[in-house]
Amino acid sequence: VSETFDRIRAKVRAGERLTAEDGLALFLEPDLLAVGQLANEVREKRHGDRTYFNRNMRVEVTNVCVASCLFCSFAKLEEHMPGAHTMTLEEAWRELEVRMDDPPTEVHVVNGLHPGLPFSYYEELLKGFKRIKPDVHMKCFTAVEIHFFAQHYGMTHREVLEKLRAAGLDSLPGGGAEIFDEGVRRKISHDKATATEYLEVHRVAHQLGMRTNATMLYGHIETFAHRVDHMLRLRALQDETGGLQAFIPLAFHPDGNGMKNLPAPTAVDDLRTLAVSRLMLDNVDHIKAYWVSLTPDVAQVALRFGADDIDGTIVHETIYKAAGTRSPGALGYDELVRLIREAGRIPVERDTLYNVVREHDRAAVPEAALKVKERVRPRLPVVQTPARVAPAVPALKEIES
Amino acid sequence: VSTEGTEKLRTLGVEYLNARPLWESLRDDPRIDLGLARPSELARALAEGEADVGLLPVGAAATIGDLRLLRNMAIGARGKVRSVSIVSERPLHELESIALDLSSRTSVVLGRLLLARRKLTPRLFGTDPQTAIASVGDRTGALVIGDDALDVEHRFPHRLDLAEDWLEWTGLPFVFAAWFARPGTIDAEREDIFRVAKQKGLSRVDAIAREHAERSGLSEASLRSYLTESIRYDLGDEELLGLERFWNEAASAGLLPRAEARFDEPRRSPTRQTLDTLLQRAADGERLSAAEGARLLREGSFFELGLASDAVRKRKHPHGVVTYIVDRNVNYTNVCTTSCRFCAFYRPVGHPEGYVLSREVLGQKLKEVVDAGGVQILLQGGLNPDLRIEWYEDLFRWMKKEYGLGLHALSPEEILHIAQMENLTVARVLERLHAAGLDSVPGGGAEILVDRVRRKIAKAKCTSSEWLGVMRTAHHMGLRSSATMMYGTVDTLEDRIQHLVKIRDLQDETGGFTAFFCWDYQFEQGTHLAPGENGTHLYLRTQAVARLMLDNVDHVGASWVTQGPAVGQVALRFGADDFGSVMFEENVVSSAGTTFGIDASKIERRIREAGFRSARRNVRYDWLTEPA
Repeated sequence: VSETFDRIRAKVRAGERLTAEDGLALFLEPDLLAVGQLANEVREKRHGDRTYFNRNMRVEVTNVCVASCLFCSFAKLEEHMPGAHTMTLEEAWRELEVRMDDPPTEVHVVNGLHPGLPFSYYEELLKGFKRIKPDVHMKCFTAVEIHFFAQHYGMTHREVLEKLRAAGLDSLPGGGAEIFDEGVRRKISHDKATATEYLEVHRVAHQLGMRTNATMLYGHIETFAHRVDHMLRLRALQDETGGLQAFIPLAFHPDGNGMKNLPAPTAVDDLRTLAVSRLMLDNVDHIKAYWVSLTPDVAQVALRFGADDIDGTIVHETIYKAAGTRSPGALGYDELVRLIREAGRIPVERDTLYNVVREHDRAAVPEAALKVKERVRPRLPVVQTPARVAPAVPALKEIES
Repeated sequence: VSTEGTEKLRTLGVEYLNARPLWESLRDDPRIDLGLARPSELARALAEGEADVGLLPVGAAATIGDLRLLRNMAIGARGKVRSVSIVSERPLHELESIALDLSSRTSVVLGRLLLARRKLTPRLFGTDPQTAIASVGDRTGALVIGDDALDVEHRFPHRLDLAEDWLEWTGLPFVFAAWFARPGTIDAEREDIFRVAKQKGLSRVDAIAREHAERSGLSEASLRSYLTESIRYDLGDEELLGLERFWNEAASAGLLPRAEARFDEPRRSPTRQTLDTLLQRAADGERLSAAEGARLLREGSFFELGLASDAVRKRKHPHGVVTYIVDRNVNYTNVCTTSCRFCAFYRPVGHPEGYVLSREVLGQKLKEVVDAGGVQILLQGGLNPDLRIEWYEDLFRWMKKEYGLGLHALSPEEILHIAQMENLTVARVLERLHAAGLDSVPGGGAEILVDRVRRKIAKAKCTSSEWLGVMRTAHHMGLRSSATMMYGTVDTLEDRIQHLVKIRDLQDETGGFTAFFCWDYQFEQGTHLAPGENGTHLYLRTQAVARLMLDNVDHVGASWVTQGPAVGQVALRFGADDFGSVMFEENVVSSAGTTFGIDASKIERRIREAGFRSARRNVRYDWLTEPA
């Protein structure tokens, strides 16, 4: 490994914060395994072998969208176009109703920016899901959607969020972040929330006591420097609010969209991006290997490259499917447990806010036998007030002592 | 392995004359279940847990690793041993080649050390004892062992007695074999049984010599002197020094895994090297024992194994080039009589979905390969009783004449099937197919080369030694082959290591394996065997350990066809230096549900992004394009 890497490793081990320059060096370090190993150190210090997943289902109620993002294979711009589809409320609720014999703990709703629906549609949507299952966690609407609602229905971000919360919204998913850099964003998604607006929605949500996730769409026209910049903007927001739960790098998939001439990023890029995320985002608890984007095979390897979460059962995903992922549309609960165990990790079923639902045994597979001493990490309480949550860095030192 | 006092100790001796005094009287002992085996079979049985104690050559003991010596019993010599020699018509330093009787690997290793000490580098080739002696000519000598060596003791003008030469070099006696036990099977009481047996045996050496003289036609006096003067049955301090010196010299020369003499010491646990030391030695390319390999596979962490295998890959291939081949896998028939439980491809004889590809269909496929710049056909199929050897010969000649592609064809199972059907030897089948155009033999059907596993997953298939035998024969004819491993059915971690050791052993003998590929069992509809342990994490660790164990195999290929191109790419950092083939089709795996299509430019991009340059290759791994 390079001298630069040695220096970065020393910083990480001393609990020092990495700079943008360090982040770039991690992307350029020739020794992929060394970067992975360092990210794994940090991951194991935080979570031991615990690897989180949940029972969730995705509902995408409409693919009608006023935005024209180049990377998107999902959205059909206008309502009358072939393939465009908007569910009735009953159709959307039915998705949960039919699964009530083995119900999810989370419903994850992400949609196109539909210009023709009343705001009450979304309120009713939330209320209906809660009627079917009062304790289900509604993780719905990306910051981009929230921003669109604010503009479209003439409200502030806060007003939108408050109304939706009153209707049943619990937290925000991380989609729509793409790449924050303004130059890249102008090219790939010029007509939706800007980086500043995206971050502002998350800030407001955190101030209201909501938790959110954040994503990054990589592997298209952006540079490594843009990825690092993206991570640093999230790190700054997290310093301020502490409301981000998980960071989810999303690999660009080229089928059927405006950048289909570009190849998808390869597995070494996927793994390295996860590892660098783990190292840069020292104040975000969880790094998620989203198996739909990575394929379950690569997601399993990713559990050694800094990721401690693999998302959930999903049930019904259409966005990556439209972009040509090889992944299946759903993984069974047992399949997820097996996937995690086979990586020598401990499967932990969580709810959306990372409360443990069920901790499974580790399997008798390689690497399991050795680690006798389990590292248990104290759980941060769910944010209830807009108060600033202490960043995770001091928490790390607590564990060490 | 049972350690209960009531159970008999499963013990194996060897039928050789010099071993007889050690095991003879064990036959009548009710506490011992004694069998006799050839040294290689004995080593296999100990390694695979079918025996508890064995009179094992010290080389094999190092390869297995983690065995316990029984005190003060061995077969050794201080000075002339007479039964292990290099014989020749000319002085040693004038020899250009030496034929090796491969029945004693330990003697072969000793011979190589003694040659290396003299800085002599004759070409060495393995063969059977009679052929070895018959090979002795002007500038060709032979390393001969046992009765054959005693028989030709005075036939040739030049003779290097290996134990005598060892004494001259080191001042120490040489130990050829000793009683070795699997850990936990032996205690002081049981050791006594062997000690008493030795005393009884030594009191009968005159009778043993006489009986052997009658059987073999060798002189009784000569045999008596051999047993009483040449061979020493003790394992004292000096012999132990000699043994450890041999193990050290062989390990330093990369001929054997590093080993140390250990006894059963219940109170003091034997010193155990740290995992870090073991990983470092592995990364340095030292030869590892089976016990060490198993420990790495069990305890080595993901990154440690990856980094160690990456270091080995880098030392073997410092140019940083990853190769691939453009070829096509053609399954000429799916009719098969073996009904393997893990296979979703085959159809039994008479099944309506059974097929044999016509010339027309084959021709179309081959033409596409030629048009796409392909260099080879990987031709494999089921064991179809309707296809005679002439069918294959005609097919090969036609393919060669019309398309001129490399022919990587017929796995050992198919070769054996043809041999059996035609009542021909494997050598004859291979000769005829070679003459008809066969270029190399694919390593498929190896699965796990441990018969306990094979019997469970593929009852009708060839045994491990048959599979290895076909490869040995092919290699001796100058054909090259690949080697494979399919794990993740009913096999244990130790079975996988044993598989690797068997490939390494044959490679020591022939050098004919070009590359190794492994994958986990692909479970899908249509197969009849539940999957065992698998997953990509295990795949990467397994491939890394294979790279560390197979120190004598040049190339390790990523099996992207089974693992997917994404994992195949990551595998390049876990010991692989080859990306396999850009294939047009692969029926066997795809009928189990795993289908991946990929073209050359995509492979090249993956190779590049993993930090390597790419080059196309042929079956011998020669570069066909400049690395780019």
